[in-house]
Amino acid sequence: MSEANTEENAGSASTAPAEPRHLRRVVIIWAVLSVIVIAIWLAVAQFILPPAASSLNSAQNFTFLVLTVLSVPVALFVFVFLGYSLFAFRVRDRPTEDGVPLQPRPALQIGWLGITSLLCLFLFIWGTFAIYQETAAASTPNTLVVNVTAQQWQWTFDYPQYGATSQGAQVIELPVNRPVVFNVTSKDVLHGFNIRALGVRVDANPGYVVSTAVVTPTQTGSYVVQCVEICGLLHSYMWEAVNVVSADAFNSWITSQGGHV
Amino acid sequence: MRSTTDSTTEAAVQRPNIFKSLFPSVVSGIVLGVVAAAIAGVLINKITTAYSPDGVPNDDAVAAAVYIAWVIFFFVGIGTFNGVFKWAFARREPTPAEELQLAGKDQGLWRYFRFTTDHKVVGMQYLATVFVTFFLGSMGAFMIRLEQSRPGAIFFNPATYNTIVGMHGILMIASTIIMISGPFGNFILPIMIGARDMAFPRLNALSYWLLFTAIPIFLSTLFLGGFQTGWTGYAPLAVQGLTPGMDAYCFTILVFAISTTLAAVNIITTTMVMRTKGMTWGRLPIFVWGVVFSVILSLTAFPSFIITQIMVMMDRIFNTSFFLAASGGSNWMYQHLFWFMGHPEVYVIGLPALAVAAELSPVFTRKPLFGYRLMVASIVGISILSVIVWGHHLYVSGSENALTIPFMLDTELISIPTGIFFLVLVGTLWRGKIWLTVPMLFVCGVLVNFVIGGITGIYLADLPTDEILHGGMFVTAHFHFTLVGAGVFGFFAALYYWFPKMVGKRLDPLLGKLHFWLFEIGFVGTFTALFYAGLQGEPRWSANIAPPFATANLIASLFAILIAASVFTFVFNVIYTLVRGEVAVANEWGAKTLEWTVPTPVPLENFEELPVVTSLPYNYGSPVPEPVTPAAEIPGITQAPTLPQVED
Repeated sequence: MSEANTEENAGSASTAPAEPRHLRRVVIIWAVLSVIVIAIWLAVAQFILPPAASSLNSAQNFTFLVLTVLSVPVALFVFVFLGYSLFAFRVRDRPTEDGVPLQPRPALQIGWLGITSLLCLFLFIWGTFAIYQETAAASTPNTLVVNVTAQQWQWTFDYPQYGATSQGAQVIELPVNRPVVFNVTSKDVLHGFNIRALGVRVDANPGYVVSTAVVTPTQTGSYVVQCVEICGLLHSYMWEAVNVVSADAFNSWITSQGGHV
Repeated sequence: MRSTTDSTTEAAVQRPNIFKSLFPSVVSGIVLGVVAAAIAGVLINKITTAYSPDGVPNDDAVAAAVYIAWVIFFFVGIGTFNGVFKWAFARREPTPAEELQLAGKDQGLWRYFRFTTDHKVVGMQYLATVFVTFFLGSMGAFMIRLEQSRPGAIFFNPATYNTIVGMHGILMIASTIIMISGPFGNFILPIMIGARDMAFPRLNALSYWLLFTAIPIFLSTLFLGGFQTGWTGYAPLAVQGLTPGMDAYCFTILVFAISTTLAAVNIITTTMVMRTKGMTWGRLPIFVWGVVFSVILSLTAFPSFIITQIMVMMDRIFNTSFFLAASGGSNWMYQHLFWFMGHPEVYVIGLPALAVAAELSPVFTRKPLFGYRLMVASIVGISILSVIVWGHHLYVSGSENALTIPFMLDTELISIPTGIFFLVLVGTLWRGKIWLTVPMLFVCGVLVNFVIGGITGIYLADLPTDEILHGGMFVTAHFHFTLVGAGVFGFFAALYYWFPKMVGKRLDPLLGKLHFWLFEIGFVGTFTALFYAGLQGEPRWSANIAPPFATANLIASLFAILIAASVFTFVFNVIYTLVRGEVAVANEWGAKTLEWTVPTPVPLENFEELPVVTSLPYNYGSPVPEPVTPAAEIPGITQAPTLPQVED
């Protein structure tokens, strides 16, 4: 490809006729719009992101917030340059003359690669740090253990510390402000165990038991445990309520399920 | 079986003969295939009943036998093996006259219904097939939107709904895999590199007709109880012996993957050995780079899919247990094998579409591609990275905790070559003479949608956000933005661009603009609403959506009406154009690639004399004046009168 005219770096400055300074304009538009959209996002994020019921989910929501702040300038870069080009350089009919034969200068290529690499590096470090934080939260004797068994098409929740089992119930309960770990498995096919508000999500694999991160519910309220992996006919009915309640209420509920406090 | 058409028997050739035109053709193929399938079905039914301890036939074995007999005897009937008997066993080369007969010379429109080797016929066959499968798939999509517009499974029961979702998924995935490499990779790519046909013309016809035989197999699932697994076909759910509809899924994948693998081998070989004089790798149009790397990826991806489905069928028919944990198997193995295919496959779909965007933008801005070598590097980089990212589909499966961090790194690295694509496209638009035709509108659509699709992929690549989004509607919206927003929009850009060359008529631009705007507005509206629903926690594959997600889903369904309107606008446009469209000129857009130098309709062997290429086809506005010979219509391409003929 050496002799092809891609080699010719025409240089935008030398061939540019006396035109408005497109590049300066478009960069200003981009910067201003980015600031505005980020501000709008920060203002409305609390209404868009669902309320978090655990510190883990708060961290996940915060990551979502940060990634969106980073994404806005990246997306707007393409939108603004595309929109501006269509606005400023469009010809109404079949063009009779050719455009300016620009080629990327080495500095632009290196700069572009550098910026995208830095963004990438940031994402990687952020994600790795989050994994470290999750796995660092170890079980303590106080941790509530819940053994979850999925089957077509219901959940069984077993509380071994209390000797209580809830199978196919409409609702289960968890105590607030007490760490809990779910050991998840399946009786038949693959299911997906997910409590969105607590931020726990792991597959229920037949024949294997997989533990979630240790998570501490921080807000009382009614949430949902649902299957998020297609498991056959009644997959979309495989959900039930998870109530995060006070320790006293939890104790009376677990007794009603046949457990011993 | 087929009458010889040597020049010595020209008297027999001249006479129109109904028997000769029907045999061999698709008609005889279907007749023989159906008869053989029925015989095989009855036979295996009797045998399995006789040997079964409780006197019950093995439905899965019957289904497999029916499908195998259908495929093999369809190919006997359409005359695929005639050449083997005539030439291979007789140990002689086919004569040029026989080759031309096989390529459909002087057979009129009937050549589209035979085992025709001409790459342009195969390309048009692919295009017609893609139209049909896209239409069926989009009808599935509108049924999904109908069901999800209200909470509770009120329009379809869950079994029907799961089948619709699965069929929509497979139809669309299969259509998008072949939508650019099939029609345009076969019709346009050989002309673009200055070849008279593909490297293996008979293999080319075989790959198309394999695709054709897969369609009735897939639709047969409707009469066999459907399948409950969605398009992913996860075992052990797929192994549960519910209905033989699942066998239809497995066998469709098998036939389709073999077809795609053959097509990939053909396209790669053609590009490697059939390029005309002067068409060096550095002068290859960017579209060719995109298609070639896409099919190289499909070579790595699809064998894994074939193996997986064979294992599932063995689990179903012979009670092996590759995927059953209770008897030593593992469902993680299915997921790993599946996504080892599944993630390269999205780039199999994406790369040609991105390459189309990069190919078209110089034409409609009248300036060179902004960094040809950067764009090639981007395509190569995406291809290499995409085969080692499949593990991000298993972040939360519990199977590979030690590998989570490397897979996260790989996945995020892909944003670097993808970013280069945006630099190239934005740079090409910058200070061009932008001619906003319908293909160019779709290129702009690719840019807008692919930014959204790409950036939302970041949320799924980073573990903290993936944990709350995995398996939810956010994922669905994300991959629709990449596969539809970038892929299908790229397909429509290519279609509006090359339709005048392929069919000889230009699609109506006003209807085309209406099609684009209905599609873009409907599409962005639908899937933005689903992003929101997914962020709130709506799971995928829900026949019965929970009340908290009802509003977002209703909005999505209302926007989907616009997409439906765009589909029918497009169908009307194609029919209207075929009936009374304007006749296109040879070089409709003033482009400089080789396919625009040949007349429309393209003659049987494309070029009277093979051209010689002296530069990249993007030398618009080049400050260096090109030497132009009087014979050449376009600078940069000269006709070489002394070049020896290749085939005649």
